[in-house]
Amino acid sequence: MQGEKNLKQIADKVLKFSTAEETEVLLFVGNNSLTRFANNQIHQNVAWHDLGISIRIVNDKKIGVASTNAFDDESLKKLVDKAIELAKLQKPDKYFISLPDKNKIPKVKNIIYDAKEDELARGVYTVIKKAKINKLTASGAYANDNSEMAVANSRGVWAYHAGSSCNLSTIILGKSSSGFAADVARKVKGVDAEKVANIAIKKTLDSTEPQDIDPGEYEVILEPQAVSEMLAFFQWYGPNARIYHEQASCLSGQMGKQVFGENITIIDDPFHPDIFPMPFDYEGQPKKKLTIVQNGILKNIAYDSYYANIYKKKNTGHALPAPNTMGPIPLHLYIKPGNKTRKDMIKSVKRGLLVTRLWYVRVLNPKTLNVTGMTRDGTFLIENGKIVKPVKNLRFNQSIPKALNNVVSIENKLTRLASFEGELVNLMPTLHIKKWQFSSGTLF
Amino acid sequence: MLKLAEEILDKIPKVEYADVRIVDQENEDIATKDGIVEALASGHSLGYNVRVLHHEVWGFAASNDFSAKGIDATIKKAMEIANSSAKYKTTDVALDSQKSITASYKTPIKEDPFKVPLEEKIDLLLKADQAQKVSPKIVISQSTYQANKERKYFVSSNGSKIDQEIIWTGVGIEASAVSGAEFQNRSYPNSFRGQNQTQGFELVRELELEKHGGRVAKEAVDLLSADLCPSGEFDLILDGNQLALQIHESCGHAVELDRALGYEASYAGTSFLTPEKLFNFQYGSPIVNLTADATIPHGLGTFGYDDEGTKAQRTYLVKKGIFQDYITSRETSVELQKINPKYKKNSNGTVRASSWSRLPMIRMTNINLEPGGEEGTGKGWKLKDLIADTKYGIFMSTNRSWSIDDKRYNFQFGTEIGWEIKNGKLGRMLKNPTYQGITPQFWNSCDAICGRPEWTVWGTPNCGKGQPSQVMYTGHGASPARFRKVKIGVVNW
Repeated sequence: MQGEKNLKQIADKVLKFSTAEETEVLLFVGNNSLTRFANNQIHQNVAWHDLGISIRIVNDKKIGVASTNAFDDESLKKLVDKAIELAKLQKPDKYFISLPDKNKIPKVKNIIYDAKEDELARGVYTVIKKAKINKLTASGAYANDNSEMAVANSRGVWAYHAGSSCNLSTIILGKSSSGFAADVARKVKGVDAEKVANIAIKKTLDSTEPQDIDPGEYEVILEPQAVSEMLAFFQWYGPNARIYHEQASCLSGQMGKQVFGENITIIDDPFHPDIFPMPFDYEGQPKKKLTIVQNGILKNIAYDSYYANIYKKKNTGHALPAPNTMGPIPLHLYIKPGNKTRKDMIKSVKRGLLVTRLWYVRVLNPKTLNVTGMTRDGTFLIENGKIVKPVKNLRFNQSIPKALNNVVSIENKLTRLASFEGELVNLMPTLHIKKWQFSSGTLF
Repeated sequence: MLKLAEEILDKIPKVEYADVRIVDQENEDIATKDGIVEALASGHSLGYNVRVLHHEVWGFAASNDFSAKGIDATIKKAMEIANSSAKYKTTDVALDSQKSITASYKTPIKEDPFKVPLEEKIDLLLKADQAQKVSPKIVISQSTYQANKERKYFVSSNGSKIDQEIIWTGVGIEASAVSGAEFQNRSYPNSFRGQNQTQGFELVRELELEKHGGRVAKEAVDLLSADLCPSGEFDLILDGNQLALQIHESCGHAVELDRALGYEASYAGTSFLTPEKLFNFQYGSPIVNLTADATIPHGLGTFGYDDEGTKAQRTYLVKKGIFQDYITSRETSVELQKINPKYKKNSNGTVRASSWSRLPMIRMTNINLEPGGEEGTGKGWKLKDLIADTKYGIFMSTNRSWSIDDKRYNFQFGTEIGWEIKNGKLGRMLKNPTYQGITPQFWNSCDAICGRPEWTVWGTPNCGKGQPSQVMYTGHGASPARFRKVKIGVVNW
């Protein structure tokens, strides 16, 4: 890893090279390794190291962005010249006011853990061994990511953060079924490979020989992974200032109004004790807890410096790297837990489906936030409060706002979920939703 | 650079096989929104990787540190990884035989996109953006441009030395209209960043974005008050730009041999096209011929050699409706020969990596539905004749959404726009068109394919696969085609 001192030196050097009115420097360092397995053996085992720099130049409200991964003085000077040249050719952006000022960044502990190749392979082997005992086939990946990020600008911003994650995920295949499980921690010793294997194996065995079921409207119990896959699209298309003010969000014009059921509170909290903290955004602005929806009422949306300037709002610290054509995004959403256990939630279903995961979810219409997708890795029929049989996967077409207006109950705890890559993790409860539209089935 | 790659290769200890790739990528991105240049960015990334086959297992490490110390550390890491994997191996990796190749390849282009003045590009995009402002209901007008140059230097322990320069360019516009809760958008020449091809700036000039801005925006506004696409089982004619993505999802991914052998199970899934189906499975109707062709002019998946040093090829995947082949690598082709003794081929050259830091893997090249009117493909229809031949159906154009299950059976696509066909004539415009199906049933319902004059190689620059994820650029040749009795308009809006 580079360390804060080295990165600060690079950033200072670039700021010195720049003759522009304003300059922003964004530095990324990655030291990563990943051990991938399939058919009960390791088949890809890779490591990579990179250091990248992106700079944003502003002259007369004209903005240019250039990036490279070469760090000798000549390359850095060239990079500055390139960004200045780009900015010169730009048209002034009348909505741009300035790069953000220095603000106090919350202190968090920087944790780096460089896993040895053997540590990852051992975890993988634990999963494979258990799959083999059950005459099943394991696949998955065990990743160790170490990253550093730093932001500096000519208005005095300096922010640095380093973090690590060890992320094991598996899909266990049977002859007619599959099961998924994952775990994530800062260090390898925090990842419970045995538990990951056991959960996935149980799902696989429980969903052996799934039966046909007619599509239609069902009550559903969405397990945390499925809730996370559903909410990913709300995260991008919902409380995003760009989309909100373009009138293209399902939340547009609804500030202060009831948008979801009264039992729904959605919070963006980059400092929640159960996730890995992110102290600042990609403009070096401090992050903080933001309540998006409280008891179903829209309270806040996410802003970065650009959209905060345009709409005279407070910057909430949700910038993505420049040039950002997506808008500001809350990356640490969770739904506030309710008061039921998952077991009790299943007990309360007369006839419905238990869904482990969603797959290939895509937006049909951003304004209504209608999405389609499939179920995957374990779908079960519930009758009179009991899981009675596994069923074949189904395609759904469902409006997310409608689903969040039909939540019967929410699990009393949050489960930490790993993303497929990197340091981002999120927290989700199980949801019991009264109506969910399934439109067709598949062959497995 | 080739010399430097050889120097790195020479430092690798004795192993069964090794290769080194140095990759130098340059890109330029411009995006406008509502008359403002929202993104103007230039990127550059240079690095290398070392891949070793040692104790019959792979080791791979990559770095952007070209110092002697950095190179030694990268080689050491690759060796350590192979040693570690070897402790837990259950099978040995074997590669097909490959002759030593010394070659150069360069994308043939007429006008280097990196030499066209930036002012000209910005001006062109802003004019196309402005042309979309035909109504106050147009709430977002956008235009996008990207150019990419990738220089790749490959050397291997079997003596191959290959250098390539791949250039590709992409451009498009998109108008979005809003009225109350209704949101509609239209794109040209395709959605999700337009058309992308291995061409120079000549592609941008040919497409005449500004000329199409007004039409596209008007269609987006008209869609706000258009009738909803009806639901039912109807005949469906897909425009080439939508059929391209249909091919990508339901054929291209399904014929990836690593996926079929279970190597992608942990992420993107497997494939219903399992090895015992080779040479006997009726994938589509007898007029359906699908190829993987990395040699066609302008295809986004066109190159000289893949990232294992195998020459670019044209392979029939489906011939007269029967499943014939996968897209393969040096390793998986050997594995397939063991599973299905009827299979006798070496790699068909489809292995690519998205950057120097990623492991090369099987990726789509240009996966094409061969045009009608050619060998074994039935009549070469014209779109207007195909519509005239359809009593009742829906014509759909330009992808809006896509989703498919993890074995590539059940799919659903939505398009930006549709038109009703009644008694052989295009009628009312339809909003929110969608269709669903099961892959082999769908392709077996194909009864007419338009001919070469309406055949285009569409670019799909955002194909995701693998862990760590890799985004690859792929191509799909397609002309409009008709499918009988498809489940249409299934979504409850």
